Amino acid sequence: MNITLKYFSWIRVKLKKSHDLIKLNQTISFKELKNNLISKDAIYQEIFEDKSVKFFLNLREIDDENQTLNNGDILAFLPPVTGG
Amino acid sequence: MIKITNKSFDLETEFKFVSSDTNGAYSFFLGTVRSDLSSSNKKIKGIYLECYEELALAQLKKIRSKALSNWKLNECLIIHRIGKLDLGEKIVLVIAASSHRANAIEACEFVIDSLKIDVAFWKFHLLDDDEKESVLQKNLDNEKMLKWKDIIN
Repeated sequence: MNITLKYFSWIRVKLKKSHDLIKLNQTISFKELKNNLISKDAIYQEIFEDKSVKFFLNLREIDDENQTLNNGDILAFLPPVTGG
Repeated sequence: MIKITNKSFDLETEFKFVSSDTNGAYSFFLGTVRSDLSSSNKKIKGIYLECYEELALAQLKKIRSKALSNWKLNECLIIHRIGKLDLGEKIVLVIAASSHRANAIEACEFVIDSLKIDVAFWKFHLLDDDEKESVLQKNLDNEKMLKWKDIIN
């Protein structure tokens, strides 16, 4: 299954990319994906520890870390917004 | 109407869109790029606006819907620019159209206050040495939003 990660603002700058395509053999939770990413790159530790960063799954904010991710899902990493 | 665009817009053209003889009042907010110093005291020569467009459109739709119902507006227009903007350029336009001025003024303020803290846009300062600097959210913007909590259903 495939999950697209989208990065915005300082997260995009820090990771030097705007998106990733993650290929997995089985469904996992948001929490498991978070731990996988942290184990691969220390930058993710900083991102996930920053309480101001919000995570949106298919345009809805994640409020439960145990939420399951499915094939085709889009997970977005959003720092506090600064438009207007 | 809601529009996210990398092109500039004309105020008179946009006003015509909301203009109707059922309205007795229009309130406008126009945000522009101002000359300023960055957090590292460097001169700003413009801004770059990033957006998560699918999410921003959904968020703007909700804000517009709340404004229309809470203040009984006849129309509410929101336009937000994205991409590179020079000093003085227009960033955002809100027009609230209503029968009476109090509703139009208050709704317009609600829309721009909400947009500042709830819609997926991110601003970068473009500096003289071709550096980009992320703009941080202001506490004041979050505090301003508190006043709407009791008003919005």
